[in-house]
Amino acid sequence: MHIHSLTRLRRKGPSIEPYLFLLPALVLYVVFMVYPMFQSLLISFTRWEGLETTRTFIGLQNYKTIFFDDPISRLALKNNLIWIVWTLLLPTAMGLGLAVALNQKLPGTVGFRTCFYAPAVIPLVAVGVMWSWLYNPHFGFLNELLRWLGLDSLTRSWLGDPNTALYWLLVASTWERVGFPMIFYLAGLQGIPQQLLEAAELDGAGPWSRFWHITMPLLRETHIIIIALQVIASFKTFDIIYTLTGGGPGRSTQVLATWMYFNAFQYHHNGLGAALAWVISAITMIVTFPYIRIMSRR
Amino acid sequence: MIRHLVTRRKSAPIFGLRRRAIGRTVLFLFITILGTIWLIPILFTVAAAIRPQADIINQGMFALPKGIHWQNFTDAWRVGRFSIVYRNSLFVTSLKPVLGILVASLAAFPLSKMRFRFSNALFFFFLLGLTVPVHVTLLPLSSLLRSMGLGGKTVSLFFPYIAFGLPLEIFVMRGFFNTIPNELLEAARVDGAPSPTIFWRIMLPLAKPALATLFITDVLSTWNEFLLALVLLTGTQNYTVPLGLAYFKGEFASNYGIQMAGVLIAIVPVLTVFLVFQRYIISGLTTGALKE
Repeated sequence: MHIHSLTRLRRKGPSIEPYLFLLPALVLYVVFMVYPMFQSLLISFTRWEGLETTRTFIGLQNYKTIFFDDPISRLALKNNLIWIVWTLLLPTAMGLGLAVALNQKLPGTVGFRTCFYAPAVIPLVAVGVMWSWLYNPHFGFLNELLRWLGLDSLTRSWLGDPNTALYWLLVASTWERVGFPMIFYLAGLQGIPQQLLEAAELDGAGPWSRFWHITMPLLRETHIIIIALQVIASFKTFDIIYTLTGGGPGRSTQVLATWMYFNAFQYHHNGLGAALAWVISAITMIVTFPYIRIMSRR
Repeated sequence: MIRHLVTRRKSAPIFGLRRRAIGRTVLFLFITILGTIWLIPILFTVAAAIRPQADIINQGMFALPKGIHWQNFTDAWRVGRFSIVYRNSLFVTSLKPVLGILVASLAAFPLSKMRFRFSNALFFFFLLGLTVPVHVTLLPLSSLLRSMGLGGKTVSLFFPYIAFGLPLEIFVMRGFFNTIPNELLEAARVDGAPSPTIFWRIMLPLAKPALATLFITDVLSTWNEFLLALVLLTGTQNYTVPLGLAYFKGEFASNYGIQMAGVLIAIVPVLTVFLVFQRYIISGLTTGALKE
């Protein structure tokens, strides 16, 4: 894909032309992403509180604090893990199911696709505010519905119980996140040749068998992409939790991203905040790296 | 295989067809019910937004709204300073995608069409940016932007937004540029066209589909971005819509009608863009990740 440019032969030595085109991108990229990233790494190795100018080098101590000493960091880690497991089980599986269903060429497919993907298009903060209304103990849709059905005893303060608040947050997140895998799986399913499935059906394979033994394996590439993206999104998740509970009640719904935000920007424990951010990054980088290798070869 | 088709022709069809028709109907009903459930949050937001607070408290959730209480919307607009917040978001969302895609295309051009020593390494370098979450740049970015004199201002968002958008945009543009035949460029070079001309007159115009898709996807992500805005912007006069909405929720926690009106004001633009440009958005999603 490269030009054997006639003009190239006449130039003396390597041209700087490519670099001129690349310059704006490189400058912005390095100055506003790469460099800050490494600065953060350095900060994470220090103890730096508030607006002091003194930073003390403490090596990996912040990371030790996160993984071993700080109960809230550990809780945040646990919450992120719960978040991933739930996200892979529910919205992802539902997305797959919906894609399979919609691939059957039922009427109104476009309408369904819109209605399941629309929540993914609006700002997560809006999702948060909408669901805070649904979860409102006094006038919210959920409790009102229960009362209307005569199930008063089931009404509760959805986001007020430290033991279950995270799960109600996950429900809101599921609402927002079903559309995304659905779209990907739909595209993936459309790449599966119909003849394969028809042939299997004629050979006597039932729908489940066709699904598990033909469709699922052929979707392998889509699975990998979706799982990677969902894992990353789960570790980065911030907006919904910040908007709906702010990490509460107490600290029960803190996740790495929110805990990082509070440490870095409210309590000004900059070192710890940077370390938390790097824990998130390390995970996203490790998960996405194999991907990048594949993309770079195309 | 063919023998199968011939011998099974008589017995298979009739039972299979009816069972399949019933199956499809059940599936359709199921999806319809699920779809309706999925619309409930938005429907109830609309329902709450058009009713006055007193009505919600007295009549409860399921009472039918008596007409549209526009006051909620005007209050949200005025008191919630949505006019300012909207202006800021419109400013960033209309300019950033243009600038970002331009910078990315400029970079993608040599990566695709010129052979030079670090071409692959640089491409990989940009791709790596896809793995980086904004979280790790927050602290240094806020000091950096402050030292540039842009502390807390809406304009400051442009820089990290463009930077973080580059990996995907360079990837997509380079992929698209790769599909443009080299003969076109060679012909232009033989005619004496310098590279910038080739870029503007050949590469970009031919890349319109990719540009359109990237633009729309970028518009949506930019409008919805929250974390960078939260950290970098100070003062409600600088806020973007998601930030304004979060702040608004804090301030008006008890007036649901106004809050929901605020939500609607915030989401109507993106929903409209989505409904109109669905095809681009959905193809944009899968392009970046699957093939091409």
